[in-house]
Amino acid sequence: MNSMLTSLIDILRANWQWIVRGYVLWIILGIIFPAQHRAPLQDPQTVQTLQPQVCVHTDLKDEVDEWKIQRSLQLVREMGATTIVEFFPWAYAEPQDNQYNWSQFDRIINHAHNQGLRIIARLGLVPDWARPSDTTLNYLPEESDEAFTEFAVAFATRYAGRVNDVIIWNEPNLAFEWGYQPIDPLRYTRLLEHVYSRLHQANPNIIVHAGALAPTLEPVGSPHGLNDLIYLESLYEVGAYEFFDALAVHAYGLTQPTDAPPAENELNFRRVELIREIIVRYTDDEAPVFITESGWNDNPSWIHAVTPSRRIANTLDAFEWTQQNSSWVENLCIWILRYPRPTRRYPDNWTLVTSEFQLKPIYYAIQSYARGWESDEELWLPAPTK
Amino acid sequence: MATRPYKIRPHNLLYLGTITLFIIGIFAILFQIGVDKPSLKDIFPAGEVRIGIDATLPPFAFISDNELAGFEITLGEQIGEQIGLPVRFVNMGFDGLYDSLVGEPAQVDLVISRLIIDPLRSGEVYYTRPYFNAGLVLVTEDASQINSMNDIQPDTALAYAYGSRADNEARRWLRRIPPFETRPYEIPTHALDAVRVGDADIALTDSVTARLYLSENPQWQAEIYPVTDELYAIAIRIHDIERWRLIENALTDLFENSTIEQLTDLWF
Repeated sequence: MNSMLTSLIDILRANWQWIVRGYVLWIILGIIFPAQHRAPLQDPQTVQTLQPQVCVHTDLKDEVDEWKIQRSLQLVREMGATTIVEFFPWAYAEPQDNQYNWSQFDRIINHAHNQGLRIIARLGLVPDWARPSDTTLNYLPEESDEAFTEFAVAFATRYAGRVNDVIIWNEPNLAFEWGYQPIDPLRYTRLLEHVYSRLHQANPNIIVHAGALAPTLEPVGSPHGLNDLIYLESLYEVGAYEFFDALAVHAYGLTQPTDAPPAENELNFRRVELIREIIVRYTDDEAPVFITESGWNDNPSWIHAVTPSRRIANTLDAFEWTQQNSSWVENLCIWILRYPRPTRRYPDNWTLVTSEFQLKPIYYAIQSYARGWESDEELWLPAPTK
Repeated sequence: MATRPYKIRPHNLLYLGTITLFIIGIFAILFQIGVDKPSLKDIFPAGEVRIGIDATLPPFAFISDNELAGFEITLGEQIGEQIGLPVRFVNMGFDGLYDSLVGEPAQVDLVISRLIIDPLRSGEVYYTRPYFNAGLVLVTEDASQINSMNDIQPDTALAYAYGSRADNEARRWLRRIPPFETRPYEIPTHALDAVRVGDADIALTDSVTARLYLSENPQWQAEIYPVTDELYAIAIRIHDIERWRLIENALTDLFENSTIEQLTDLWF
């Protein structure tokens, strides 16, 4: 025993320089490549809320740090929201034909599921290999419908039971979102038709949402897009309703209050009621509506914004409106919880939480509403008498 | 035969460092020789200064009677005058501002549109010195002794707009100093009204609102104290160092001859 100790000491003495070098190298490597914050899954959580319609759109697809994904989703649960909408880009999951990388999607879905949240997954964004080289990421050539469907089926199969809602594409009535191809409801219907039954085969419990249309007044022939009401009517005329189970809708209030009456030539929150009129006009088996993006912006200098106080009041009113119309509207999802990095412009004023995880007053207001912590006090004091 | 190991000594390092710096210096001089100073035509090939703006942000840039107007429009014109070139404003949405500057081909030469200095953009743009600070400010009566968070006492009444950045900041202060009275109002001007009529001791608001309010109420003797920074600067593509230098110099001149101060007083 004694001789072993002696020989060990001899070895250390003989090699002390190497030991010091190794230690210094270890320190340097630790500085260059710091250990990632670990974000292990916790015990499964459940959302405590009195307002199940409360939902928020998240932006986690580009979040590098797993702990930030986890923290974001914890904040969603703690706010009392039952549901998130998240974009899962095809281009991220299948960068090469038939070569999938699910790692980022796994992180998001595992943590969301762990927090007890329902996930509505928006699918879109075309990888390079599935479109001509001179096109944008939103350009889906018809010959790539099958490849997109295979991705959607792979997604639905992998996450069955954890993700049972998928939205096919986003705002196909906008030129930008449609890859600058001519706006064509019939073409979009063919895409839905291609995907619909295959998704149901992959996951019998899946709810396929038609992509939300952008609220816009663009007339027929405009290079920028097409009026959402005209587009939706065209979808119903060509029978697209056979290929979706629910309709995603975007309902922004812009500068108008929540209760501003809807009109065909107005963009406001209750425009969703005009969408509903079209659904009812064409079908008996009415597709439920999910408002997957909504909200008001409170940047003090943007002309389409309202004051922060009005933003909060309008948002709470919108949740109340959703509850009153719960026979046909399931969720109201606020755009947006937080961005991975600040834009340092008015888009930051859509968020409920800053990129640095500072909770904004609107977060607290929604939380108080959803969890029943509201007090009887008015949100703000009356204007001083001059 | 054992060779004597070479040891690096401090004076050797000093010697090597000096030699390296000398060689770098020689190269730097050699590369500068024969390089002509670029002309204005080289820096602005279009013969004009194309300025990207988002004219939805009064009083910075907006459309009035079908004409562009605002602080940033006047600032752009002044910069053009300093340089000696006409300016052309290219109005676009926020989302297109940086792309129009760094895309190929670039649609604009610079952007003046309330751009906050963004460290994450440092790989693609240079910013000039800031031309405006839109951060939060405390507004107090002249006689008040309160000009920072540390001066706030438990009996101090702080007015701000509910839900605003000022509300965020006030909540942060409540975690850092002993509790004080908070008076949330619907809009920031009500918070300023509250101080003016004596319902609150101080108001916390953004500097744009405070400046506009004080110019509309010149009889009210109040002071503004900066609390946070939100610095607006001009952005130029990173490859265009000469263009940046020219704009930076022009902006510096405008600061030194008080033009920026006059423009600020004019629009706020």
